[in-house]
Amino acid sequence: MSDPAVEVKLEVKQASKEVKESENVAEKYSAMTVSKNSEMNMGDLSSAFSAVPTHKPVKKQIQFVEDKQEFSRFPTKAGRRSLSRSISQSSTDSYSSAASYTDSSDDETSPRDKTQVNSKGSSDFCVKNIKQAEFGRREIEIAEQDMTALISLRKRAQSEKPLAGAKIVGCTHITAQTAVLIETLVALGAQCRWTACNIYSTQNEVAAALSETGVAVFAWKGESEDDFWWCIDRCVNNEGWQPNMILDDGGDLTHWMYKKYPNVFKKIRGIVEESVTGVHRLYQLSKAGKLCVPAMNVNDSVTKQKFDNLYCCRESILDGLKRTTDVMFGGKQVVICGYGEVGKGCCAALKALGSVVSITEIDPICALQACMDGFRVVKLNEVIRQVDVIITCTGNKNVVTRDQLDRMKNGSIVCNMGHSNTEIDVASLRTPELTWERVRSQVDHVIWPDGKRVILLAEGRLLNLSCSTVPTFVLSITATTQALALIELYNAPEGRYKQDVYLLPKKMDEYVASLHLTTFDAHLTELSDDQAKYLGLNKNGPFKPNYYRY
Amino acid sequence: MAEEIDQTLPQPDEYPEPCEDVVNGDEEEENNKHQSVKCSPNLLQMLKAAESRRTPQSRDRDREEASGTEETEAQKTDMQIQFNDQKHEFNKRPANTGRRSLSRSISQSSTDSYSSACSESSEDESSPRDKPQATSKGLSDFCIKNIQQAEFGRREIMIAEQEMPALMILRKRAGGEKPLAGAKVMGCTHITPQTAVLMETLSQLGAQCRWAACNIFSTQNAVAAALAEGGISVFAWKGESEDDFWWCIDRCVGAESWQPNMILDDGGDLTHWIQKKYPSIFKKLKGIVEESVTGIYRLYQLSKAGRLCVPAMNVNDSVTKQKFDNLYCCKESVLDGLKRTTDVMFGGKQVVVCGYGEVGKGCCAALKALGTVVNVTEADPICALQACMDGFRVMKLGEVVRQVDMVITCTGNKNVVGREHMDRMKNGCIVCNMGHSSTEIDLVSLRTAELRWERVRPQVDHVIWPDGRRIVLLAEGRLLNLSCSTVPSFVLSITATTQALALIELYSAPEGRYKQDVYLLPKKMDEYVASLHLPTFDAHLTELTDEQGKYLGISKHGPYKPNYYRY
Repeated sequence: MSDPAVEVKLEVKQASKEVKESENVAEKYSAMTVSKNSEMNMGDLSSAFSAVPTHKPVKKQIQFVEDKQEFSRFPTKAGRRSLSRSISQSSTDSYSSAASYTDSSDDETSPRDKTQVNSKGSSDFCVKNIKQAEFGRREIEIAEQDMTALISLRKRAQSEKPLAGAKIVGCTHITAQTAVLIETLVALGAQCRWTACNIYSTQNEVAAALSETGVAVFAWKGESEDDFWWCIDRCVNNEGWQPNMILDDGGDLTHWMYKKYPNVFKKIRGIVEESVTGVHRLYQLSKAGKLCVPAMNVNDSVTKQKFDNLYCCRESILDGLKRTTDVMFGGKQVVICGYGEVGKGCCAALKALGSVVSITEIDPICALQACMDGFRVVKLNEVIRQVDVIITCTGNKNVVTRDQLDRMKNGSIVCNMGHSNTEIDVASLRTPELTWERVRSQVDHVIWPDGKRVILLAEGRLLNLSCSTVPTFVLSITATTQALALIELYNAPEGRYKQDVYLLPKKMDEYVASLHLTTFDAHLTELSDDQAKYLGLNKNGPFKPNYYRY
Repeated sequence: MAEEIDQTLPQPDEYPEPCEDVVNGDEEEENNKHQSVKCSPNLLQMLKAAESRRTPQSRDRDREEASGTEETEAQKTDMQIQFNDQKHEFNKRPANTGRRSLSRSISQSSTDSYSSACSESSEDESSPRDKPQATSKGLSDFCIKNIQQAEFGRREIMIAEQEMPALMILRKRAGGEKPLAGAKVMGCTHITPQTAVLMETLSQLGAQCRWAACNIFSTQNAVAAALAEGGISVFAWKGESEDDFWWCIDRCVGAESWQPNMILDDGGDLTHWIQKKYPSIFKKLKGIVEESVTGIYRLYQLSKAGRLCVPAMNVNDSVTKQKFDNLYCCKESVLDGLKRTTDVMFGGKQVVVCGYGEVGKGCCAALKALGTVVNVTEADPICALQACMDGFRVMKLGEVVRQVDMVITCTGNKNVVGREHMDRMKNGCIVCNMGHSSTEIDLVSLRTAELRWERVRPQVDHVIWPDGRRIVLLAEGRLLNLSCSTVPSFVLSITATTQALALIELYSAPEGRYKQDVYLLPKKMDEYVASLHLPTFDAHLTELTDEQGKYLGISKHGPYKPNYYRY
């Protein structure tokens, strides 16, 4: 995403995909507007409460518009998913993927044309270079160190083999972290075939390492659009092997199966979907009555949401700003636009370092929270002349306009932690009277005719994805949730899950959290029988009602 | 578990099976008789009330998988504990508040707050029921202790008005329109200056009001007098008997030529009475607004049984109220309560906070800000992980109890701090409860012969071990924030504003928007309540441009968040 050369190349390749995608989106949109109306009707409360699908519209609609926007700029699959703030996506950007340097080999023959065999004689895979397996193995082992939850899940459930008989097709980013997930699934008894959900994110050596151990992987870095669908098809269409579970990120695999192999699709025991876009597509299917298997939405689980937004941003805001500008925070006047989960995280981090933090907010409830947490709630215009740093996290567009940028102090920093690249009106800065000067990677000085400079980070794209890393710990939470969702769907008694989209049961959510507590050496208190009875709870959870806000 | 996805917010299904003593009046009577053997007649009514109510915990705790028998057992335990609680409360302070103290309804706490001290106990022992009363304008459709106190009560109300800016703004904004014109609101709440501001706001918005007290002890006579003088029919005085209580409610309903069409209830007694006694009136109601957890529970029971024939609004679970009653309020009162009682210094002290829910989060944040070393104990792994990420050590109480200087419980559970813990505490360790009933600290185990109790201040006991070691127990394990600190009017203002808006919403909703069910306040109203309180902080809300609103797909004026948003 950060490499302009790649973007250009991609633009061509992705053109056809873009068209298809926007049709797809338009279809979603029309459906969405209907439910939107009902959402706005305040009277329709009970129906709004009764089902998650009707909760979604606001968010979904946002997704849509952004998709289009994002498309025109970054026609990569990664770009399109950067909106979803799915951290899985960010693994594409993260430093670990830089480990793929080994594959800059100038071998231009497509892996599709090569005959490949692993050391055991199996050739049911398609990767760039099976020779890299050993290097990939090391990468996986490093990732294992930070994903203790999955490792302890392996240990705890290995003897039971809860996934024995499960035939899982997966379509995710292929990175060292997902490799840990895949190997965990295998250790729990599943057979896996895997493909990449993103044409650029695959770490070739990891794919090789997986193939070497017998997982059928069809992925390499830099697939073409055609390769992408070929890989998915090879993954699904295998003689004598019919998948019965789907693990998807983005919904492409689900879509392909649904269109191309309806008979196989019908027999699926369950779909686990991670990304916002994929979940949205599933809700569409479900609404149209065309979803004939149960699906699990792991994106909206509490742990994932909190980690993707609150905790992750709380850390990356400081990291991102330090790496790019080496700014000192103490005593600096900072305006944070938006006090949602991301905004709350940014505020907490900056306050802790002694910044003077002000908030802008449109929602009175969040504004009141900001007041009670001790932040001034202001309009951007009122403080724009004094501030040193502006951070946007609204999910909105044109939150910082040219008009406001014109009035900023010399040397003030503008960056975006939000949710797409629309929050800062960057287009308005591309005018002849302003000089752009790239001072570092991801750092531009925009210079006004009078010599004033404003420091723009990552050209208004997401600071936390462009200029800082996503910790493996966060990916571990997602991966663990996915594994548990698969186990839950596979082992659920007939009839527990019908043809609908479900949230992960709270108990599973709690289990994911508990698997990660060991990292902190946290000692969970156990309820005594007496106490559990008093509270009317099971000793082992779930501990909270579903509407609990955490 | 398959239903999980349908239940992101409270809805009728989530609430437990009807337990007999709530719905079944006869059973209630029986329990009553049964209990009467053990306790004084005065306690009787409290018990009865307590039985028919459930605490928020009990609501949370009910799960579909819980079997019927377990249910009843848990219920009994609960009652028993409640009973102990009340006895304490009674000996010390004979207030009906005890019965609701469990629900963490802040409205209740107004009884304890300093302002209530002004309702002096006049020695006039004749029941107000027997006295002929008339206001200066000659009205006599009310029944209070002493109309002469009206002027004094008026001053109280004016003080409260200062601190409830939202209602005052609401009066100004909506006053011209009279959105409640034609509404006949019957209310049953605590009668305090804060609710008086609410009542007078409703009147100014065009409603006719008749009011009774929801608690036999919480009424401030002077305020009731001022309201009566102002033309609102109030039937309430401090120290009603059980019989008086129902008489007042009945007088409130049963005036000829006046049929209520809205109910504003706190605890569900009024709703219950009307439903039983005046079913024809009940059917014609336009809506019920209920504030307390217990009342909500009773409404869900009714709804489940298919006997709720009017729409009801649950204001208890609105975001603003929940956050203020728990997170923000406790964040302030934990420091206040500890300082008032013990004058302790916080910096560098080792504290263990049991439970990291909303209350626990508030306590931890406040204590951390003052430089204490905070440990957390938690049973729920998700909350435990949150505590870790917020930088608190998650420990078991047994592991740290030897080192800590303070133990604060906020779990809602029982016997969180047991005798075995207290035996190992340091000399001078402070033990207190911010949770939700007096069960969290195992007090019974401290009432043994070898331990000496010494009351050093009001609400502060030293419990002295044979070896001379003492622990400092606050409020005898009852709620620290209600017993030892005040509840700000600002918090009550949020509740009152929410109630007023709920009434307006129900009254002016077009036919068919609300059916015979229990609803949460629409998010837009919640947002409006919040926005009315922003001027207090001089907060300037940013407005969306048309273009931005379109981009986000939301109206410029809200609601801004989907319903499942966690805040």
